Amino acid sequence: MWTLDTLAAGAVYFGLVMYAVFGGADFGGGIWTALASGPRAQEQRDKLFHAIGPVWETNHVWLIFVVVTLFTAFPQGFAALFTALLIPLVIALIGINFRGAAFAFRHFGRQTGERIPFMVSIFAVSSILTPFALGMAVTATATGKIVFVNNWAQAGPWFWISPFTLVGGLVGMAICAYLAPIYMTVRTDGELQSDFRRQGIIAGLVFGFLTTVEIPVAMADAPLFADRLLTVRGASFVALSVISGITTLILLWRRRFQWSQITAIGTVILTITGFAAAMYPDLLIGQLSIRAAAAPPATLRAFFIVLVTGIIILVPSLLLLYWTFRGEPNPKLPQ
Amino acid sequence: MDNVLSARALMGLSLGFHIIYATIGIGLPLMLMIAEGLSLRTGDELYHQLARRWVRPAGVLFAIGAVSGTILSFELGLLWPRFMAFSGPLIGLAFSMEGYAFFVEAIFLALYIYGEQRLSRRMLFFCTIVLSVAAAVSAVFVISANAWMNTPAGFRLVDGKLADVHPFQALTNPAWAHEAVHGTLAAYVATGFAVAGVYALSLLRGHRSEHNKRALTLALAVASVSLPLMLVSGDWSAMTIAVQQKPKLAAMEALFTTARGAPLYIGGWPDPATGTVLYGIRIPTLLSYLAFRDPDALVEGLDAFPPGTAPDPRLVHPFFDLMVASFFIMLAPAGWFWWLRWRRKEVPLNKWPLRALLLASPFGMIALESGWLVTEFGRQPWISRGYMRVTDGVTPQTSIGLVLFTFFVVYLALTVGLLILLMQPATTEEGAKTTQGDRHVDS
Repeated sequence: MWTLDTLAAGAVYFGLVMYAVFGGADFGGGIWTALASGPRAQEQRDKLFHAIGPVWETNHVWLIFVVVTLFTAFPQGFAALFTALLIPLVIALIGINFRGAAFAFRHFGRQTGERIPFMVSIFAVSSILTPFALGMAVTATATGKIVFVNNWAQAGPWFWISPFTLVGGLVGMAICAYLAPIYMTVRTDGELQSDFRRQGIIAGLVFGFLTTVEIPVAMADAPLFADRLLTVRGASFVALSVISGITTLILLWRRRFQWSQITAIGTVILTITGFAAAMYPDLLIGQLSIRAAAAPPATLRAFFIVLVTGIIILVPSLLLLYWTFRGEPNPKLPQ
Repeated sequence: MDNVLSARALMGLSLGFHIIYATIGIGLPLMLMIAEGLSLRTGDELYHQLARRWVRPAGVLFAIGAVSGTILSFELGLLWPRFMAFSGPLIGLAFSMEGYAFFVEAIFLALYIYGEQRLSRRMLFFCTIVLSVAAAVSAVFVISANAWMNTPAGFRLVDGKLADVHPFQALTNPAWAHEAVHGTLAAYVATGFAVAGVYALSLLRGHRSEHNKRALTLALAVASVSLPLMLVSGDWSAMTIAVQQKPKLAAMEALFTTARGAPLYIGGWPDPATGTVLYGIRIPTLLSYLAFRDPDALVEGLDAFPPGTAPDPRLVHPFFDLMVASFFIMLAPAGWFWWLRWRRKEVPLNKWPLRALLLASPFGMIALESGWLVTEFGRQPWISRGYMRVTDGVTPQTSIGLVLFTFFVVYLALTVGLLILLMQPATTEEGAKTTQGDRHVDS
């Protein structure tokens, strides 16, 4: 199990988790920007924007990390994925593009105060589109519909649209919409905090409902994935994520926001881990194993040398970042 | 449109777009560092304020650079999966290292932008140092991947499969050194001139503040120090290419026939049908001298390579000349400015020197983009020279024309949006003046 190729697959998994936990919350902020309602809708939107402002670029780097790790360590798998999933990935990319631009433009154009509503709607729509398309792309790898002919990946042009991937896309959105308001509960107080608490509870129920529905859908639509998910290994992660999700709801109900933030992250990590456990040992289920897709050992060794060096440089830098911005956000600071 | 052509057009469009923002992301941190350093050393607050005023455009441009870079990382797979399946194990390392450098850059940019009230001046200065180094390092690494396509190294092919893979040899491939040095310096020149142009315009419009004078001087100083180094590194690049990538040199110089004492053509239109350069200025033996430091040296022309293995000089020679011409277009106004500055011991505010600078200000970027086109068109028809053709690296997916169209619209929308915002400098300037230091700062 602890071979270089599974470790490299672990790096891809780690990147996905980090992107979901950090970047996902940013997308969730966009989703709730669209769904904000009630007397404090504008305040909610502003708070979400301010929270995302300083961090979204750093969070975004995790997606690039996943892509680079894929083509360095799993060139065959990368080529297959990016050939078969051309359309959903293009959709996600357009979303990422407009979202980043809308965000940057909003900040830049702030003093003039013009065009902001337009930017907000672009920001909101692309925040919904991107996790949905990415969720579909990720779950499409579990359908077993990407097949290899003459060593080359082939799939129907619309294979990635099926009940299983559609629910997968919704789960992607739900993960984002779940994390953002829960993170916000510890950054706000009073009525605004209650708003975010209510949003967190709603999103948690939706998230739980969608992941539950995904299991019978998988049995019909992605049978191999369903089989592996219902083995002891897969099922134990499913059970743990259910426990973690229910705990989060209880904690939110009882207004233990610090703790609910931790268990919410746990729920998301466990959900992704359950997916990864059911995929293991394949990169494309039933068609391409991690081992078969892996780059030559020399590349994997070099990849880990660079990874360790990178971590040695990054960890102190990140600690400095978080240490500098510890404590209450300074209201005088740029937003 | 043809699938290969669509894929090339889209990749070219995305890179051409990204290069502008990435370049500013390399050049601007250096200027921030110099301004903060000067402020610390002289105790002059104006330099610090200068740097803080660049923070906001830096943040926006850096963000667009990050997003357009993400698009590129996706397009590697969406457009060139077969090339990536072959080269990923070799050039992936360069991209990984670039990724970490970029990560560090993002962290220290956030620290510098948002940390003004939490960090000491020394610490802010330190942030700009790390920022400048990380930016330069990320450029140097990502250029390694491009250099590998020109001079693939670090592997053998056995029955069409990779063997003897040495990723670090791939990283330090032969073309890397000169491309990295020339490309990174080009970023300083391009940013320096672009920023100098902005302030020259401001001075021309009558905003003769100390702020504008200093900003102009600083930006132009960065560009002017790098400019002669461009000549040196360009000469080094040409001499190296003459040995490593002979077809590219032949296409750059529009040399159709192999010759001793080869002539240098300035300008002109290379005509492959007749094998001549129309309307060009021909200087005998100069190419042999420049490429090999020997007026009698043998330079291989395009006729030395089998048909279908060398680039089309019509796409390479004009861009090469444009790059070289840009150098002189920038050199003259910069020289004029410094001459007046030295004579008068003050920033010259006369119309014509400033107008000349304004005119020259986009040519750093033009030179950089054309130099990039020389490298890319000069590599054709190979995606990995000698190993894989562009046509063999492209995706088997067939609807690339539609993807190209989609992204064309996306880039158009982005550019229009950015231009609309940048066209309102007056209100932003005023806002920046009335709010002290921190309020206007965001990214």
